[in-house]
Amino acid sequence: MRGPVALCVLVVDCEFSGCGMLKLFLWLRYLRKKKIVFLSIAAVALSVSLLIVVASLFTGFIDAYERAAVEAIGDVVLAPPAPPAKFAKYGQFIERLEQTEAVEAATAMLSAHGLLHLGKGNVRAVEIWGIEPVRRAKVMGFDRFLLRQKDSGGKPSFETNDFEEKIGGFVGIGVVAEPDEKTDQYDFDAVEKMYGEEVVLTTGTVSGVNKEGRRAEVKRKVIEFTIADVVETGVHQFDKGCVYLPIEELQKNLYPDEEFPVASQIQIKLADNTEADVALAVIRGVWRSFVEDELGGNLYLINADIMTAKQLQRPYVAAYRKQMGILLLIFGVVSLGVVLLIFCIFYMIVRLKQKDIAIIKSCGAAGSSVAWIFVGFGVCVGTIGSGIGAALGYVFTNNINTIEEWIRIIFGLKLWKSSVYMFNKIPNEVDWASALSIVLLSIIAAAIGTLIPAIVAAATKPVEILRYE
Amino acid sequence: MHKIILAVRYFLKRRITHFAVLAVALCVFIVVVVMTVMTGLVSDFKQNNHNFVGDCVVGTESLVGFAYYEDFVNILEEQKDFIEAVSPVIKSYALVNVINKENNTGLEILGIDPVKHSRATSFANTIHYHKGDVSKTFVPSYDPNLVGCVLGIERVFERDLNGNYYYYFTVPRTGYSISCFPLTAKGALSKAGMGLVRTKTFYFSDTSHSGLARVDFSLVYLPFEQTQQLCGMDGPTKRVSAIHIKFKPSIKLQTGCEKVASLWQEFRQEKANEKQAYLLDTVTVQSWKNYRRASIAPMENEQTELIVMFAFVGITNVFIVLVVFYMIISHKSKDIGILKSIGVSNADIMVLFSGFAFLVGLLGSGIGLFAGRLFLLKINRIEDWLFERFNWQLYDRTIYTIGDIPNRVEFKVLAIIALSAIVACLAGALVPSWQAARQKPLDTLQVNQL
Repeated sequence: MRGPVALCVLVVDCEFSGCGMLKLFLWLRYLRKKKIVFLSIAAVALSVSLLIVVASLFTGFIDAYERAAVEAIGDVVLAPPAPPAKFAKYGQFIERLEQTEAVEAATAMLSAHGLLHLGKGNVRAVEIWGIEPVRRAKVMGFDRFLLRQKDSGGKPSFETNDFEEKIGGFVGIGVVAEPDEKTDQYDFDAVEKMYGEEVVLTTGTVSGVNKEGRRAEVKRKVIEFTIADVVETGVHQFDKGCVYLPIEELQKNLYPDEEFPVASQIQIKLADNTEADVALAVIRGVWRSFVEDELGGNLYLINADIMTAKQLQRPYVAAYRKQMGILLLIFGVVSLGVVLLIFCIFYMIVRLKQKDIAIIKSCGAAGSSVAWIFVGFGVCVGTIGSGIGAALGYVFTNNINTIEEWIRIIFGLKLWKSSVYMFNKIPNEVDWASALSIVLLSIIAAAIGTLIPAIVAAATKPVEILRYE
Repeated sequence: MHKIILAVRYFLKRRITHFAVLAVALCVFIVVVVMTVMTGLVSDFKQNNHNFVGDCVVGTESLVGFAYYEDFVNILEEQKDFIEAVSPVIKSYALVNVINKENNTGLEILGIDPVKHSRATSFANTIHYHKGDVSKTFVPSYDPNLVGCVLGIERVFERDLNGNYYYYFTVPRTGYSISCFPLTAKGALSKAGMGLVRTKTFYFSDTSHSGLARVDFSLVYLPFEQTQQLCGMDGPTKRVSAIHIKFKPSIKLQTGCEKVASLWQEFRQEKANEKQAYLLDTVTVQSWKNYRRASIAPMENEQTELIVMFAFVGITNVFIVLVVFYMIISHKSKDIGILKSIGVSNADIMVLFSGFAFLVGLLGSGIGLFAGRLFLLKINRIEDWLFERFNWQLYDRTIYTIGDIPNRVEFKVLAIIALSAIVACLAGALVPSWQAARQKPLDTLQVNQL
């Protein structure tokens, strides 16, 4: 009899305290007495954690993808259209750029494709980037990717210790080593042995149609260089297929007849707090005046592509976002089962607790107050469940690399490989914006699940329930 | 009989059961659609790999290749009982650029005999202009005297928004300058007479659409002999990179591969004293599945991950069934009391409610399967409609190299999903059934309980 007596006391109190105590009393009581409510909390927690993990992994991947682009090409990239796909006097252009407030630093790059012979029977197709290491370090922090020089504190350089006259170059870590099949880790001892090794690179250009109208001729160039350092960016595409040479050396081989230094791209770091649109307008203006002043107003060159790294990646980012949306929708629809579950549980509670409801109503509580008891309880269940789910999602996402490693150790299953998913680590930052939306939606879903049982409870007639017979 | 009658009666009378059916149907529907699309993508991808490789590959990863292949090809061709076709190939990397254009690109090259390769793989089905006469694959139609090359389709033609390629009506005349590092049998750069690099011009004669993005984007097929020269494998002892093999249709993959492996071991011993026998040490015999493992495994992993995630979400269904049964049993304690008082055993009570759960699972999965099947039948039409009206595609065809969304329903997948749904229902009903079975008629049939 303690229950109904306490209930009557609380209902009387309710007249003075706005029913807050009564609701709390009943919620705690149902939570304590009806263990089945924990099932709904568990279901909410499970769905919320899964959705948070999926959203966080996708968002993390997209962020890493965009960040990788910025680290590879800077905030903004300027590339003249093909042909000629290159332009001269880049040093003067960089000087002009750096005089503006929008640009913090800029560097030139000359790119080509080539074949690299690393040793006996070991040939790789590579992309050759002629770079300015010091400037590149300023624009995109390139020095931190150099395995040998990153901790030296000095400026990055192509210099090799052995012979000054030899050309030094950097190679991506995946060019000189293969990641372990099971662990996806590189053998750094083997990589270290490559320092100072001489390798042969072949590339080439096409000579233009000459005055006699002869056809263009392919000129193959063979460059021998010494590996001065190894680059590990953590992005498979760059680590696997890039070779870096001094821009002057590459130009000497590819375009020996050019009078001025040439570049195929200018990579730009914007000053802090600069709006991308404003910066693009400034850079376009500087470029236009540079072409007019120094390059004879070449129309092809004036129409060079000037884009932010994010703009370049936009189609792929859009595709990833779409995949994320579809996956969240699928799991969201499946999670609708949670609404049904809450409905079933609350319906059962309402049916079993008809006497409680009748007592409350007989003491003068309005139907809406009774309905709010159950809706509020649903919100509580949703809040507790989504809170637990968010905590689980956070723990899982934060430790995803450790979990993946344990799965590899226990089941021998390597789920994440840089060769497949671009990056050597699974992005493990929780997307709090998505997490908040998911938590709010799950609380709303829990409240929706309680609506019909709450209406049934509100419609309960005490005179029928509390009859002796 | 009473078990069936009661199970059906509870199902019809207790409307709350319909929620359990609805939840199961919803889950089954989503899983059927997602798993069919995913399984279709994976199996199409596997099939494309199989078509590209053939059944078995005897080869080495080293770009130096291996010697004495002609002898082994002869041995294989004698095995008429299980081998249908054999195709030696040369694999290497080359620097390719379009004549008169300044763009160099590092691509993979595959030297093949088109006729032999079409017998061992599905190469003939991937080309466009010489589908009828594969022997002329490397003969450009605009000038039969030139040496042709076949480029992956992504290198040559653009795709429209629906993923269809814009093929030119006639073969476009384009020359490609292709350079390779010729390697000696020891793997060093061969410098004999021709410099460090060998270059040859080939003319576009056809395009290959294998359905494998990487292959279609970065592979160039060249005539076998010319590739052998480019790569320096044309010395007195000729070399190749691999031999692709197709088995007779009646031969199981594993059996065929084991037989080839055994033949290879014998051959290796036979050649042990030859000058370039060391090149045979790195040669492996692999089925197409193992040969393309690095490409296939990630897709299979993703499929497994999706299944695990669905299993987690599916737990909610188990909870729903548990709650529904708990409610029904708590309301039907009198029925249970009467049944037990006339001698029905605990096991029978459990069977009764398990049968009821089975019915819920069966009906839920039946509705889910039907709705899923219906949706899958129309999925491509729905996508077309969405694209026309809202410019929205499930897969952006300018990025993903797939055609239609796979909607081929596999009976095995459906059976596994339906079975899992029924098992989930049975699992959900287990605890309430057990509680029902343990009820005592003496307690439930007391006057004050009625």
